[in-house]
Amino acid sequence: MLKIKEGSVVHWAVRVACVLAIAIFIVYIPTHSETARIGQFASAFTLIIAAMSLNLVLGYTGQISIGHSAFFGIGGYTAAILIRDHGWSPGYTFYAAAIIAFIVGCLIAMPVLRIRGAYLALVTLAVAVLFPTLLRWKKLEWLTSGAKGIDSVKYDKLPVWPFLGELKGRDGRAVFAYWLGLLVLVIAFLICRGLIKSRVGRSLIAIRDNETAAAVMGVNVTRTKVLIFGISASLCALAGVLSTLSTGVVTPDGQYVTLLGSIIFLLIMVVGGAGTLSGPIIGGLVYVWLDNTTRGIGTDSRGVVGFIFGWTNQSPATLILGLALIVIMLFAPTGLVGLFRKLSRRIVTIEPQGQ
Amino acid sequence: MERLLQYVFDGLSFGAIYALLALGLVVVFRGTGHLNFAQGEMAMFCTFIVWQINDWGVPLILAVAIGMLFGFALGAGAEATVIRSVAKKSPGGVFVVSIALFLGLNSLATMIWDRAEGYTMKSLFPNKDVDFVRILGAEWRYKYIGVLIVALALMGLLFLLFSKTKFGLAMRSVASNPESARLVGVPSGLVLASSWGIAAAMGALSGALVGGINGQLTPSLMFAVFIYASAAATLGGLDSPGGAVIAGLSIGIGEQLVAGYAPGWIGQDLKLSVALILIFVVLLVKPSGLFGSLKVERV
Repeated sequence: MLKIKEGSVVHWAVRVACVLAIAIFIVYIPTHSETARIGQFASAFTLIIAAMSLNLVLGYTGQISIGHSAFFGIGGYTAAILIRDHGWSPGYTFYAAAIIAFIVGCLIAMPVLRIRGAYLALVTLAVAVLFPTLLRWKKLEWLTSGAKGIDSVKYDKLPVWPFLGELKGRDGRAVFAYWLGLLVLVIAFLICRGLIKSRVGRSLIAIRDNETAAAVMGVNVTRTKVLIFGISASLCALAGVLSTLSTGVVTPDGQYVTLLGSIIFLLIMVVGGAGTLSGPIIGGLVYVWLDNTTRGIGTDSRGVVGFIFGWTNQSPATLILGLALIVIMLFAPTGLVGLFRKLSRRIVTIEPQGQ
Repeated sequence: MERLLQYVFDGLSFGAIYALLALGLVVVFRGTGHLNFAQGEMAMFCTFIVWQINDWGVPLILAVAIGMLFGFALGAGAEATVIRSVAKKSPGGVFVVSIALFLGLNSLATMIWDRAEGYTMKSLFPNKDVDFVRILGAEWRYKYIGVLIVALALMGLLFLLFSKTKFGLAMRSVASNPESARLVGVPSGLVLASSWGIAAAMGALSGALVGGINGQLTPSLMFAVFIYASAAATLGGLDSPGGAVIAGLSIGIGEQLVAGYAPGWIGQDLKLSVALILIFVVLLVKPSGLFGSLKVERV
């Protein structure tokens, strides 16, 4: 086993090497991959942001929410409506969506967070189920266009960013979506990190571990819970805006606007590692990879998969995804980040200074 | 008046089905403290098994019994193999596993029974257009009466099981304190597995009843029913079987009344929403459901 002193030259070398590897990876993807792969990464970034927002509420504060698909939808619809009906430039819709979702999030949180545990899960589930029916409601059709949704919401002309040069065509849009997604992701990550590593973060964890004790220690439980729910909602709305801008469509049946979306965000968060900053990132990448790999497995494939699933006409994708999730939970019950930490501790330990 | 009676009666039958599924949720929650999101899909899968066995020529009533046994094996097996070992290490993991079961069972059913238009499901009870009695002007259809009787009978049996048998005592002791229960010799593993099994078997029955009423069987059979059932379980209090039954029946009636009397501008789409909003309001006043026990913890 290797021991490294914190702050030593070796420790810094490892850190620099990690950052360099990530940077190379980030630049390599949009410059050297096919368009479809770039698009997959862009959608992974969207999902990661949504899972991060959920992580603030569930992973750190211990308040389960299955209603985040509604905030994702609020973001997506805000962007689509502002661009279509009011001729906004797409970039500004991020701010509007974040503000609206923050307000809605706080309004929902104020009564709802009185409810705890499994009850909260089911109440937020109700939010997730209600949101699409609200979008389809006849009385709101003037705003949401009902069941058919809003389409062709796109950048008319992609903005020119300094180091990217002029982007054109389908490839250009994918590359742009990638970088835009990454930018928002980095901002969201920094917001989460700032919150967690501060006084607010410590009070969140105190609330998660024991609400009564936190209140006794002087944490304003209600205010903290409501604010963090609002912040989480607005981060999730950012993901919704991103999704609308890259696909150009929002409908009430959209994958991430319905209950399914909330479930996917939760899966990503738990698979990656709840209550860790890097968990949603790892989880999102793994989920998108799993999703695309299993979807690629058609019924006509040969080899083992063809042998096992040759009898059916339907794609076994979802079944394999389900099995994979069970296997991950069996071997990494605290998420992939937890598993990584456990394994890496056997090989390398970082010794804190002063010991 | 006749209309009102009709709605109440139809609502009671649907409500009985929601109550059955909700009871399953409550049994699992009391035993293990987890919500089984795959409850509806387990029920759906068992209903397909019932259909398949019936299609092979076995009488429907026997097929339902076999389906319930299969459900018991499915639920108990899932608990014993996967759920328990995940639950020990991470509570959030159980959620993921139950979602994985949801996805897996749904996908497996689509793969095995892949006819897009679904399958014709027979009802356990007489189901022709003339099969009803008229009481006080309302049509009491035999299939609805049958559903109501079967559901209520099963609930009665369940209450006897909980309150009068040794097994029920073991279940209650595991629910209230797993550690002490194990120390006094209660086989807690067996009890936990059976509570999942019982929940899934009840799901199988409710699935067969829903299938019989709808007359059609598709993999999305239980989705809406599960939403109503989980609403019923929440409304009644997740640890209260009696609450689940009362809430299930009232949600069934409420749903029919809303569908019948709601003003036109609300529309059919919002039928589900009205029920959910009502529950929402109730929970704001009583955060642990109408009959749930408030958890008091020491700090």
